[in-house]
Amino acid sequence: MTFQAEIDVPLLDVRDLRTEFGTDSGTVTAVDGVSFTVHAGERVAIVGESGSGKSAMAMSILRLLAYPGRVAGGTVLLNGRDLCALSERQLNAVRGREVGTVFQDPMSSLDPVMRISKQMIPPIMRSVGLGREKARAEAIHWLDKVGIPDAERRLEAFPFEMSGGMRQRVMIAMALSCRPKLLIADEPTTALDVTIQAQIVDVMKTLISETGTAMMFITHDLGLVARFADKVAVMYAGRIVEFGTVHDIFHKPSHPYTQSLLSTIPSTTALRHQRLPQIPGMPPDMKNPPKGCAFRDRCAAAIQTCAQDAPRLTPRGAGHVAACWQPDGLAGVPRPECSGQVRRNTNRPLRDRTMVEINRLTKQFTGSGTRLFSRKPAQVVKAVNGVTLRVQQGETLGIVGESGCGKSTVARLLLGLEEPTSGEIFIDGLAQMVFQDPSSSFNPKMRIHAIIEEPLIVKRWGDRQARAERVRSLIDQVGLEVAHLDRYPNQLSGGQRQRVAVARALALDPSVVVADEPTSALDVSVRAQVINLLADLKEDLGIAFIFISHDLLTVRYIADRIAVMYLGEVVEYGPADEVFDRPAHPYTKALIDAVPLPDPVTEAARAPIQLKGELPSPLDIPKGCAFASRCPIVTDRCRIEKPVLRQPMKTREAACHYAK
Amino acid sequence: MVEYSLKKFAQLLFTVFGVVTLVFFTLRFIPGDAASAMAGDAISGEALELLREQMGLNAPLLSQYLIYIKGLVTFDFGVTITTRLPVADLLLRALPVTLSIAVLTIVLTVALSIPLGTLAALMAHRGQNGLDNLITGTAMVLDLMPSFWTALVFLLIFSLTLGWFPASGTVSFDAPMDFLKRIALPVLVLSVTQMATMARITRTAVLEVLSEDYVRTARAMGWSEMRVLFRHALKNASLPIVTVIGLSFGNLLNGTVIVEFIFTIPGIGNLLINGINSRDYQMVQTLIVFYALLFVGINFITDIVYRALDPRVKF
Amino acid sequence: MTQNTINTPASPGMAAPATAWLLRMGKGRFLGNRKARLALVILVPILLLTAFAPLLPLQAPLETNLRAMMQPPSLAHPFGTDRMGRDILARTLSGVQISLFVGLSVALLALVSGMILGTLAGFLGGIVDRTVMSIVDIFLAFPSLLLAIGLVAVMGTGVVPVILAIALADVPRFIRLQRSLVLSLRSRAFIDAARTVKARKSWLMSRHILPNTVAPMLVAASIAAANAILVEASLSFLGLGIMPPVPSLGNIIRDGQTYLEQAWWISTLPGVVILAIAISFHFLSDGVREALDPRSRQ
Repeated sequence: MTFQAEIDVPLLDVRDLRTEFGTDSGTVTAVDGVSFTVHAGERVAIVGESGSGKSAMAMSILRLLAYPGRVAGGTVLLNGRDLCALSERQLNAVRGREVGTVFQDPMSSLDPVMRISKQMIPPIMRSVGLGREKARAEAIHWLDKVGIPDAERRLEAFPFEMSGGMRQRVMIAMALSCRPKLLIADEPTTALDVTIQAQIVDVMKTLISETGTAMMFITHDLGLVARFADKVAVMYAGRIVEFGTVHDIFHKPSHPYTQSLLSTIPSTTALRHQRLPQIPGMPPDMKNPPKGCAFRDRCAAAIQTCAQDAPRLTPRGAGHVAACWQPDGLAGVPRPECSGQVRRNTNRPLRDRTMVEINRLTKQFTGSGTRLFSRKPAQVVKAVNGVTLRVQQGETLGIVGESGCGKSTVARLLLGLEEPTSGEIFIDGLAQMVFQDPSSSFNPKMRIHAIIEEPLIVKRWGDRQARAERVRSLIDQVGLEVAHLDRYPNQLSGGQRQRVAVARALALDPSVVVADEPTSALDVSVRAQVINLLADLKEDLGIAFIFISHDLLTVRYIADRIAVMYLGEVVEYGPADEVFDRPAHPYTKALIDAVPLPDPVTEAARAPIQLKGELPSPLDIPKGCAFASRCPIVTDRCRIEKPVLRQPMKTREAACHYAK
Repeated sequence: MVEYSLKKFAQLLFTVFGVVTLVFFTLRFIPGDAASAMAGDAISGEALELLREQMGLNAPLLSQYLIYIKGLVTFDFGVTITTRLPVADLLLRALPVTLSIAVLTIVLTVALSIPLGTLAALMAHRGQNGLDNLITGTAMVLDLMPSFWTALVFLLIFSLTLGWFPASGTVSFDAPMDFLKRIALPVLVLSVTQMATMARITRTAVLEVLSEDYVRTARAMGWSEMRVLFRHALKNASLPIVTVIGLSFGNLLNGTVIVEFIFTIPGIGNLLINGINSRDYQMVQTLIVFYALLFVGINFITDIVYRALDPRVKF
Repeated sequence: MTQNTINTPASPGMAAPATAWLLRMGKGRFLGNRKARLALVILVPILLLTAFAPLLPLQAPLETNLRAMMQPPSLAHPFGTDRMGRDILARTLSGVQISLFVGLSVALLALVSGMILGTLAGFLGGIVDRTVMSIVDIFLAFPSLLLAIGLVAVMGTGVVPVILAIALADVPRFIRLQRSLVLSLRSRAFIDAARTVKARKSWLMSRHILPNTVAPMLVAASIAAANAILVEASLSFLGLGIMPPVPSLGNIIRDGQTYLEQAWWISTLPGVVILAIAISFHFLSDGVREALDPRSRQ
């Protein structure tokens, strides 16, 4: 981070920005007096959870908010000119041309009925002032730069003909081809898989520094911040609570929220057998903002003053500010629940009883075959392709992989929701499931007690009174209150709903619990609560656990063994620590490398091997090794001969010819 | 495209076959039979028998059915009971009148309702609810006005009170201006109802598209609101609108029957009502089948147009 | 009134338990809903006037008065009189009874048969589904009013044939809606959640799928009721529905058509009543939708 002396006027100077949403029940102040600066060529990350106002703030800068949102006050100076004072027409000259934008969801951010060329060329003609032919060449040039193969042909494609990763590349090319001075990217990689995310981040980083464009990067992922940002603004409840360089934020965090947030992320270095520190409670309801500091209810360092007056941003060092009455935040305050209670006993001998055994399991989905006039053969998707796994009593198996690798299908097969095409599944006792999205896995018409009671009724467990008793004890076990039982699912928060899902899964005393992405729909600060709950229950009940996730850090934290899946196959299988520390399969290694770690120093020191290209279509799996098309160490042998899962090391299996 | 069209066409043929069969057997299961229902009570047994013979009701059901199918395929719908004129001739004479009304209504509807619906959507999107509520509210009231009542009110105001349009008189293509004046009120009445539906659908479709991410992308690229509206929003919203044009064609056909009846316009709707009143089942049967064919035909075409408009649909 | 074949309290009697049920379902949100309140503001006075029509100082609907023919609206005859000196308001109120009876009967018939057949088609699939849906497609090939006209032509005029004819035109739409609801609910995650404890199909159906189809079907039913009222009026207007002397909104307006110039009130005022009823049913459907939407419940 070097400050150039000649830049005194920042490129972007946001002062006291306020954004309001008018709703039926009153005005919600989504952004409440935010001030910060972005200098030319700088990368500033805005971090926060959903509802923190980070996206509303970013959209306010170019006045792109949809009704009922509106900028209620403040100034946004771009090169000294106040954007808030511009007319819509004048602002249109700034949008795209001086400030480019990349949005979160690449699947919906491009016009579906318009070719890429029609969406890309006119902005270039307008912003750069080129003729149609030159603009076209420029568009191809940029598509090429963002890594779109065969750019000239792809320019004439429709968005639906491209994958999500490709579309996001197009979005970036579209924004950068107009040569903006500032690029605003709103969660640009959140919808993408981790290896694709790594590619996109890399492309952005390279191109931004090449063109000298400054960047404002909105995200909830602290790992990405560490990988990407020069400066960081942490937002909570509509305000910036801390702002500083990436080193300040990660190594000398001063605000209790920043401090807690950093500690809730399972890291690769910390003792994984300690309980994950968690932030109690939930973010405040912005419809009734609390008086004083918005974080005080969740803060262990809260004092009397916090309840009355909201703290302002005060200096904590050169260029480092935080909004807290306590000079050092949580430091020096005893933190009862984060004091490193050893909840987990690694040396617990695994009981030698196999609870789940899967042998050579396959599942194929056949597309609707018999078409009246169709000559094409029915398409077969090989979702699961010969998977063999075992889970012992009291053990947690983590299954990781990117979307489309078949991990969720394995879960559905285990639960009997799908019939296997071939292979065997043995389960000792009963398997139950915790679903990914707690908002859709509950019947919206049923109250919580009926949801938890349902498995008991179906299995004719006890009489009415015994069931009510059981429901009460379950709700207590997952840390909710009896009062919650009378509510409807939509009256609970995401974290509470996931607790209910766990209670329901435990109702019948299962021997195996399968959790399919149980935390991915949750906010970072709530995620740790659910992970701890699962870890505790597993410890207390001694059940076998299958934890399916794309989030490698969480899997590493919670799992004893890990199975890495790629295109319906297990490519590596072994003890969690070993797989992470010394991956045997090149895919495992790439996957781990792709995960951004929440530490800027580690990130700077990493030289991750990046996977080329994208996942092949499961309709058309390559003949040899499924990973051959993307593998950095691929040889001719891999393309012909399919490697089988073998045991190159004592404790580990890997499906690679070259695993040592 | 061709494959899909053929497949849809096969489905269409099946539906048409079902329609034809349903109509035939429904009419054969009238209590008593078509002849006695037609003749009423004041007829001797002999005369009734003669009528049955004439109508071919004495043949076995299956052969009646086959004759009926053959007639439909060869465009020979038999003769009317009352006037002994070939039904096909009457139909061909009445059809252009009805189609003129229908086509003019569609043109007027589309020309007025799409801008109005878009305007309402734009206002709603900006949160300027005044004009939106006015357009939406008016559309709802117009939509729910019974069309026969609207017709009478229009007749009372524009014809009887203001004298702008004739309430009666011959309808002939030979005098185009008079013809247009004669069908002006029916078209207006039908357009009122159709416009209400179409404007509402347009509003919903455009409003939905306006909050899509790609519209925000276009705005973030610095395009003016008008360009965003025309290049992105309307283009995407046109897909649901096309579907609705097809579906509301059914309501349009319903409406033509009523306005033709009120304004005494010699279209197929009037033919139908007269047929029912004179208990001419040959006529009623043919016309009902014909209406159904017209309706499914239009829906087939809009379905194909929809597919052609949307590049995402692969054939 | 006495000659009327329709039992007076029939329509309000049917509406009352339905309303009570809605109120329970909506947990008072229904009454708190602006559109629902608006609907009731229009509908309740009409219902009260209709129910207590005999107590009003009006001529009986069929009573003629040759000394007061074609009187414009006045205090004695708020809607005026027709060519036989009959009171238009009394006739209109009597017609409203028939309208409401037809509207609610059609809605009920369509709702019940649509839910049964649509559920069977959606849940059983296979040959049942294909058969039901082919028949549905055939019925949907007819524009609705024309189908009703054709059916009335076959079945004859009168209240029952009219109800059956309109319902037959509506049932296919309800089957299709119910089926699509069942199909989309079948793939929801909470069905999977119930399947993990090996719940039977009948359990899934009665506990998870059917309860979630009720709200959208009720919304459709209240729109169908409004629509049926309009179709009945149209049929009667064309001389194919309820036949004179029994007054129906459609045939009152038809009577007035001939005297449009001399006595505008005969045709126009009953039309305003039809419009008011149709609008209130639409607001009602919006109210039901908003009140029963679990997303809006906090």
